Amino acid sequence: MIVILVKSGLQLLLLLLVAPLISGIIKTLKARLQTRRGPDVLQPYRDILKLLRKGMVIPETASWIFSAAPYVVFVTAALVGLMIPMTATDAPLSLFGGVIAAVYVLALGRFFLALGGLDTGSPFGGLGSSREMTISAIAEPAMMLAIFTVALSANSTNLSEMARFAESQSWRFLAPSQMLAFAGLFIVLIAETGRIPVDNPATHLELTMIHEAMILEYSGPNLALIEWGASIKQLILMTLLVNTFFPFGLSSNWTVSGLGLGLFFYLLKLLLLACCIVLVETTNAKLRLFRVPELLAVAFILGALALISTFLF
Amino acid sequence: MPFIHDPEFGDRMITLMAALVLVLQILAVGQRWLMGNIRIFGLQSFLLAAIAGTIAFFNHANHVYIVALLTLILKAVVLPLILARLVERVGIQKEIEPLINVPLSVLISGCLTMVGYVVAESFYHPEETSGVAALGRNTLAIAIALFLIGFFMLLNRRKALTQVLALLSMENGIFLAGISLTYGVPLVIELGIFFDVFVAVMVLAILVYRIGETFDSMDVSKLRRLRG
Repeated sequence: MIVILVKSGLQLLLLLLVAPLISGIIKTLKARLQTRRGPDVLQPYRDILKLLRKGMVIPETASWIFSAAPYVVFVTAALVGLMIPMTATDAPLSLFGGVIAAVYVLALGRFFLALGGLDTGSPFGGLGSSREMTISAIAEPAMMLAIFTVALSANSTNLSEMARFAESQSWRFLAPSQMLAFAGLFIVLIAETGRIPVDNPATHLELTMIHEAMILEYSGPNLALIEWGASIKQLILMTLLVNTFFPFGLSSNWTVSGLGLGLFFYLLKLLLLACCIVLVETTNAKLRLFRVPELLAVAFILGALALISTFLF
Repeated sequence: MPFIHDPEFGDRMITLMAALVLVLQILAVGQRWLMGNIRIFGLQSFLLAAIAGTIAFFNHANHVYIVALLTLILKAVVLPLILARLVERVGIQKEIEPLINVPLSVLISGCLTMVGYVVAESFYHPEETSGVAALGRNTLAIAIALFLIGFFMLLNRRKALTQVLALLSMENGIFLAGISLTYGVPLVIELGIFFDVFVAVMVLAILVYRIGETFDSMDVSKLRRLRG
């Protein structure tokens, strides 16, 4: 019991600290690539601290859901964060169905975020919620198919089991189906974290915004919780990508030296993935909203092909 | 790193890169932007060059290095540049309008990939455990899929330039099949194929330019106006 608590505490600390850092790194790298100076890497921490100290305005028309949504978003993200292997192959928590639970607990957070957007009755909130749910309805099957591909070859939906299997196989783990699943899941990552071909994270002044439209009415600590939760969700999806497809350097035990090395490789892999995201964001223009399903159809087909080709061979 | 000289590692890398080529092909079907399509073609050719290089390294086939280098220079750099310049010169609309809408096209490409796997299955003999037989399994399937999807793209698009791109991606599929099954045909034949593709693209580029000049459009269905 104590061991689980300590492990959870450590991972929670890592999760809460690294998540804004990754957002900051992506922002800075993106600015540099576009020959702007851009904000400091630490800017997201400052934003969160500033927002936590401010007062907040709650619309008169809002019900309790509006105030509850940020906590649900934050707690579900943090809970899923404890269920995925970050630096060691064994995650502190493994609940219910492993990866299936992880995906749907995240979906619970998104559901409440969409409700929070609808709750105030502002047209922008409703618009954002409707778009978010549309996109997630298509992204979710693609994500499940890609994850099932890995789960099939590991014979388990438990994320720790999957990581342990992948780690023991070393480079033999990399098969063509894995590649297809990775590509599919990468597109889902872009869509779920609201990155450029799908949504623009840098502005809340566009009619095409999705995430920003939903949280337009939030302010102060509530907004801080939502932003922090969103960056944790982004970190979770990135971790899922790097640790299930490239498990190199994952520590197989919870010793200090193993964890240190694991942390080093983990951060390195995250940095590489962040570079990929920055490249995609900089070289692509935002898609029209009605073209987004086309992109997600590609992700879905890649996931389906990955799954079928594991069966064929 | 001990696994660097393990032939199985080489096979695995080749299959991975082939899978990446397939991913790019499916992205190309989903891509509506003409320049994006040209870039995807360049990236595909770069990966093919890498595959050829890997095959040369693990099989000590030195002449395949030349093939890899030629692929890199011609198909990954020169051809995309020629096509990009052509797009600038003709000044056509830069968005592709496929005949069948994109989600359905992508779905069809997925089915064509399955066809590729099923066809390749019949070439696979499990009693032969040599590297070539094992490699043929996935890479041949992917090469057939590339060819079929390229053919589908050729049928699915109206503009002459996009059809040239589809033709080139079909050629990429044939190249992948050839190089992964035979570990490099004699250099003379490779050179012949390269020269062929190069001249074909030059001729097609001029043709596309002329079509654009004469009809103010690159829509091949307008060519019917030539009738008496």
